Amino acid sequence: MRPSGKTSAEGGARAGGPSRTGSRWLGVAFLGGLVLLWQLGSLAGLLKPFYFPPPSRLATAFWELAREGFPEGIRIGTHMAVTLGRIAEGYLLALGVAIPLGILIGWVPVLDRLTLPLITFARSVATLSLLPLVIVWFGAGELSKVLLIAYGCFWVMLTNVIASVKYIDPLLIRAARTLETDGLGIFRRVVLPAALPRMFAGARVALGVGFMVIVGAEMIGTIRGLGALIMEARTYYRSDISVVGMVVIGVLGFTISAGLERLERLLLPWNRGLESVRR
Amino acid sequence: MRRTARLRDAMLGAAGTLGVLLVWEAVARSGAVSPAVFPPPSVAIPEALRRVPPGELWQHVSASLLRIVWGFCLGAGPGILVGVASGWYRTLGVLVRPVIELVRPIPPLAWIPMAIIWFGLGEPSKVFVIVLAAFFPVFTNTYKGMVGIDPLLLRAAQTMGLSGPQLLLRVAVPAALPDIATGLRVGWGLSFGILVAAELIAAEQGMGFLIMHARLLGEVSVIIFGILLIGATNLVTDACLAGVIRRWLGRWHAT
Repeated sequence: MRPSGKTSAEGGARAGGPSRTGSRWLGVAFLGGLVLLWQLGSLAGLLKPFYFPPPSRLATAFWELAREGFPEGIRIGTHMAVTLGRIAEGYLLALGVAIPLGILIGWVPVLDRLTLPLITFARSVATLSLLPLVIVWFGAGELSKVLLIAYGCFWVMLTNVIASVKYIDPLLIRAARTLETDGLGIFRRVVLPAALPRMFAGARVALGVGFMVIVGAEMIGTIRGLGALIMEARTYYRSDISVVGMVVIGVLGFTISAGLERLERLLLPWNRGLESVRR
Repeated sequence: MRRTARLRDAMLGAAGTLGVLLVWEAVARSGAVSPAVFPPPSVAIPEALRRVPPGELWQHVSASLLRIVWGFCLGAGPGILVGVASGWYRTLGVLVRPVIELVRPIPPLAWIPMAIIWFGLGEPSKVFVIVLAAFFPVFTNTYKGMVGIDPLLLRAAQTMGLSGPQLLLRVAVPAALPDIATGLRVGWGLSFGILVAAELIAAEQGMGFLIMHARLLGEVSVIIFGILLIGATNLVTDACLAGVIRRWLGRWHAT
């Protein structure tokens, strides 16, 4: 059974409220009603379009972004590609370093103790506070943005990978030792499968961090990318374009995170069983 | 036994930190990079303290803390309220959750232009962005905690005669507290990151402003010091929050 189905079944048992499909429609109808109210309020002159651009205006702004582009003819597709490219580079760089390093630190207790305060501190440093420093070191170009994303993703991923290896049930490893003598075999067949679910969770959180950081990183020194689009639109008094940019980045983030969750279920079928047992 | 183990861990941690500082010092002194761009810690920190006197430093720290406390309270409070209410009253949850889930994936920083349009360039726009950063994790975790309450707990309380608001406030909310606490910690961390970013973009005071201003003046030592200061402030305030939560949770949950 999928976890989402489970929670609402529990809720239903308690309150005996509307059925699942019924409640979904109710929610969608409410949402639709709000959007309609927003549009009507704007038509009636209650909501100023500059402050709260109405849905119709957002649709035309999106159309304009898709056909003519903004600013300087940069189309929405380009903004999306640029932003996703930056996130992908920083994210993959972070994961590529964090996974092997994290496994090593998680596996060797001394390394874990040596690095714990450093990692805790590095995690506490707000990623975007590094912005002025990377600009001084690497300029305001692409490299700086990618490095900022990499920094943010790296520490989240690293701590999760370390924990995923460190907190494997020692019984599992001892049991494997009695059955198998080869260390590499234990690693491949016991440690890795036991650690992967948490690594995946870390990868999902890290991606969220990437989406968080990119907006800040793109607000300075560029006119390409969704963060730049949102910021640039304000200086032209185009709040409708700002809001379209916000929606696009929200949809992108949501879609990719949902996709990763799907992928996780597909790749790690053994994790699903564990999760339903634990609850 | 346990104490010596802890002492050993602390020693190892200190050794690791010291090691990194020494490597930094050695690389910076090797002359491979200009010290103006990459100063060693022994130079950077005293120089930063000379350029930014303690009184001014405290002004920046307190301006940041004031913002984050306001934003966090205004975000986390409603987050808990809405989370508890929509977890408890199913119809409310059905109505409110899609709206929140729709807005949630928008990164808080992406709201900055609209925040400036709505509230101007002053304090409220920065506080607003922090409110958003705090609200969503607190709401999500509170809701999750409320929905995940063991039904047995509620039924047991019902057989003992509790119902309505009493059941909610004396059984359900305390049962959801660990999740609420998680939400608060996550929300604080996120608020902190967003705070600094908001201060980079538009502020006349605060730790984010301090380092951005230092960039304009080319004072790398102040930038580095500021980054370390931000990390330390986050660490200390998070530890305080964790301590408060632990005491407060301890009334209901053994840890």
